[in-house]
Amino acid sequence: MASEPAAPVASRDRGAAMGLLARLRSWEGLLLGLLVLIVLWNATSVSGYLDPRNQINLLTLSQEKIIVVLAMAFVIIGGEIDLSVASVMALAAVLIASLYEGGTPMELAVLIALGAGLLAGLNNAFWVAVVGLPSLAVTLAGLIGYRGLARLFIEDRSIGGFPGWFTAITRDAVLGPLSLSLLLFLVLLVVAAVLLHLTGFGRTVYVVGNSRDVARFSGVRVTRLKAALFVMSGFIAALGGVLIASRLGAVRGSTAEGFELDIITIVLFGGVSIFGGRGTMIGVILSIFVILNLRNGLALANLTGNTQLGVIGLLLILSVLVPNLIATARGRLERRAGDRGAGTGQGPDPRRADSISGTASG
Amino acid sequence: MSGIPRLLRRVQPEQLREIGLLLILIVLVAFFATQIEGFLSGRTFTRISTSVAVIAVAAVGQTLVVLTRNIDLSVGSIVGVVAYVVGTLLTENPELPAYVAIAVAIGIGAALGAINGLIVAYGRVPAIIATLGTLAIYRVVLVELSGARTITTDALPDWLLEVPRTTLLAIGEIDLRLMAAVAILVVIGFQLLLRYLPYGRRLFAIGSNPDSASVAGLPVQRDVFVAFVLSGTLAGLAGFMFLARFGNITVVAGQGLELQVVAAVVVGGVNIFGGTGSMVGALLGAALIDTLQQSLIRWLEVSEFLRDAILGLLILLAVASDAVLLDRLRNFWARARRRSPTTETTAAQEPGSGL
Amino acid sequence: MSSHKRLIALLAVLSLMAGACASPAASPSVAAPTTAASEPASEPASEAASEPASEPATEPASEPASEPASEPASEAPSAGGEVVTAEPGQELKMMLLPKFLGILPFDQANEGAMEAHEELENPGALEFVGPTPENSVQGQIEFVTNAPTQDYDVVMISNNAGDQIGSAAATAQEAGVKVVSWDSPIPSAEGEDLFIAQVDFDSIGVVMADMALDIMGDEGGEFAILSASPDAANQNAWIAALEEVLEDPKYDSLELVDTVYGNDKSEESYTQALALVDQHPDLKVIMSPTTVGIAAAAKAMQDEGLCEQVKVSGLGLPSEMVDYTLNGCAPQFALWSFVDLGYLTYYTSYLLGTGAIEGVEGEQFEAGRMGTFSVEKDPTRDAGLRVLMGPFKVYDETNVEEEAS
Repeated sequence: MASEPAAPVASRDRGAAMGLLARLRSWEGLLLGLLVLIVLWNATSVSGYLDPRNQINLLTLSQEKIIVVLAMAFVIIGGEIDLSVASVMALAAVLIASLYEGGTPMELAVLIALGAGLLAGLNNAFWVAVVGLPSLAVTLAGLIGYRGLARLFIEDRSIGGFPGWFTAITRDAVLGPLSLSLLLFLVLLVVAAVLLHLTGFGRTVYVVGNSRDVARFSGVRVTRLKAALFVMSGFIAALGGVLIASRLGAVRGSTAEGFELDIITIVLFGGVSIFGGRGTMIGVILSIFVILNLRNGLALANLTGNTQLGVIGLLLILSVLVPNLIATARGRLERRAGDRGAGTGQGPDPRRADSISGTASG
Repeated sequence: MSGIPRLLRRVQPEQLREIGLLLILIVLVAFFATQIEGFLSGRTFTRISTSVAVIAVAAVGQTLVVLTRNIDLSVGSIVGVVAYVVGTLLTENPELPAYVAIAVAIGIGAALGAINGLIVAYGRVPAIIATLGTLAIYRVVLVELSGARTITTDALPDWLLEVPRTTLLAIGEIDLRLMAAVAILVVIGFQLLLRYLPYGRRLFAIGSNPDSASVAGLPVQRDVFVAFVLSGTLAGLAGFMFLARFGNITVVAGQGLELQVVAAVVVGGVNIFGGTGSMVGALLGAALIDTLQQSLIRWLEVSEFLRDAILGLLILLAVASDAVLLDRLRNFWARARRRSPTTETTAAQEPGSGL
Repeated sequence: MSSHKRLIALLAVLSLMAGACASPAASPSVAAPTTAASEPASEPASEAASEPASEPATEPASEPASEPASEPASEAPSAGGEVVTAEPGQELKMMLLPKFLGILPFDQANEGAMEAHEELENPGALEFVGPTPENSVQGQIEFVTNAPTQDYDVVMISNNAGDQIGSAAATAQEAGVKVVSWDSPIPSAEGEDLFIAQVDFDSIGVVMADMALDIMGDEGGEFAILSASPDAANQNAWIAALEEVLEDPKYDSLELVDTVYGNDKSEESYTQALALVDQHPDLKVIMSPTTVGIAAAAKAMQDEGLCEQVKVSGLGLPSEMVDYTLNGCAPQFALWSFVDLGYLTYYTSYLLGTGAIEGVEGEQFEAGRMGTFSVEKDPTRDAGLRVLMGPFKVYDETNVEEEAS
């Protein structure tokens, strides 16, 4: 049980490029293989899948979620969690709508909404990083509270009729078939990958995620880093809220309800450990495309909501279970062959919850 | 003068949190008593105790799993499946004796929990992934099973409908309903299991450090598996109670329950990273959240749309003041122990100190 | 006097039975008790046992519901506008999209749609697809967005996404897909060709007010609403209609004290119902215009032994309510036929998809066994066209058992 694949752990301390290569052979490799399979399957047996319109729809339908996924990856790798993102999205969307309805210029309303996202993030950050409460409890309160705040503004109404330029952000193609919001996503995707893997900030996130105490002893300002993660998450969630208001063209109190689970699922499926310190942006990005393509294929094949969820759930489990079982079987075979080596034959999966030693709590 | 400190000195650190939660609960009740007319009555107790019962039973199971540094997100779906299947069974065979129905409920829950346990403990899939998956899969099974039929109250046997109305014990105005009594028994039973059975002690060791537990030769896989089976079993019991209480069971039954259960556990001070926590804490966590919810919807000063905002804030404050209180008490306790080294040592205390 | 009442009751029951069988005869039979019952409508409800069925049932029917339902049936053939009939056998790919899968009313609608599908011998596919309850809004938007890619000709949607589905629906329309809403419309009507209204939304206010008055008797009293969610467009429209109706001096004795939301979950609705009773000691009726809410509220009152004190009413399914109606917890409630709604929705959509009708105001068409209907302006929305089905069925202890089986 105590075995721990050496490559990913070591890679963090060495060059990031080396680390990426090493990871590609493991979880990311599996995701890539899965993605290729799904795309091939969809392309050959699902009519309409290759339609360019469908390819854009596939991204557009989930654009707010996948933007927030990028920020959530940082939070979870940093050893925390933010359950409040969907409620912050709703709060931002509701603020835009009710401010605009009240006569505030749209530009200003958007800025205020983004500011509210920052504040919500700051609030989470204060309780988690400064007071030291568990992020699960704090952001659970946020999940209820921020949506409550949103409800307070909009009550049982639905507000729409936004100006054309605002809805155009998500609807009108500006570069090839891509809308401004999808371009923004692609830019943020690159920024997130660079930030996590090629900067000191990114390295610090891993160190803190691995062990808060080790990080503190090695001079990392843990409080500041954790605060930064939550503020970032809050801001990006508000951005997601702006985009969903733009895409749907109307805002209600239930906007973005339940998104947090989808967002966290994508991050975890990307190979990020829920206990922090592990995972790559490449994995998360691959996970985004695997899940979106899978869902799209299932939807076009008329597999309805429940079955879709079931298939994705099954895939989640199998994708971890099968490699584990194969590794176990291989380990047994090797052992039978007399190789009683260092005991590394067991479990190549780096994400095993119980394999993380020394994860500092809370 | 020194009565309270002496009492505190006897208190063990894990109990400090429970005392903290209890104090917060008392403060809350006192506050709402000033705000809501007739709040301090037997009726309020009945309302909250019966409504907390289902969550509390599931939260006990969740606590077992969380103690081992895992999580079971599938409880809501297990509750739904059990409520539906047992409901169908009773609709079609109204003559079925109660103990058979309860056995079926518990059996289905245990089986579904065993699937989770197999995947997590022996398949070494992270619990959050595994149970997010089964959360969806069990719900799909339910939707497929149901064929859009709804279990309706009138088709259920009378004895089942009597369950939520049955009062076991009435002290003055306060009714202790059967459902609440079951929940309390479950909490006490499993609290004793944690404290006195080797299995219970091992759960703490596993959650504190799975690697060293495994090195130390503990049957980690088997213990984690059993924790999931027990969680499923209790979710099955909760599913039966859900059926008895709500009667009308559709495919959405129990949906989102996992969030309430996890919230109860987290607010109840069970460390989500394993190793610390207690059943009583989980019960208090469930009671705290439910008291907040039930009181807020009865508080006329607060509009329908303000409630959730306040609920979020109050949960945050409860958790924060609990943490602060805990810190104070722990310091006090440490000082007290230093002062009188003769006090019984607590070598067997759970390791891990995180919130 | 008493024979008079018996006659009314008989007529009402007949009309309900006719409605239940949903034969073409339903339309005229609705109109019949309208005139008969208009007289004693304001009578004290002391004999609620025999009478209530007639009262609320006919009240709405006398006003808006009767218009398209009964009028075309009798007058249409002679009317100036041509009545379009469907030509069977044309191929259309149809999607029936409920709010979510897994509950009875939507399955009944599918039953009706399949009946029409077979009757019209459409060689194309009729797909009954839907999202999960917790993902209803996003799921519906996804289905509508994907509809053109999947080559659907018509999407029939019970909209749960409010105006948020507008842009997706409009995009689908631009790609040539007809969008027909049923049960719950797109409030702004953006991207919607037609709305098949189960009953006149304003009349739901009248029915609920009548049932409340009937249950409470002349002295009236306090009642509260237990709705689904603050975002349910149809629920909000019905509550607004009820509030408007309450302005009528006839309902002066009724006092609406609270509106709460159970989010269409048994658990939450149950809790909210008990909270209502605790909060308002003089509460006499909980009015729940949602099938989940009404059943949960009735169960809560029964469990806590409050049925003598607080009655439950609203919109419910007979099969779920029969016990509560017989034991007096929910003496009366109303609903329409979801099978008929599905049938009419399919029929209209088929006509629209084949180009037999264009979906403009004033068109008249024949919808198989249900008779003749017309496209009209939807008076309950700022924009949008509707086809009005109607009528209500009001259930009480005299007729609920029969319907439930």
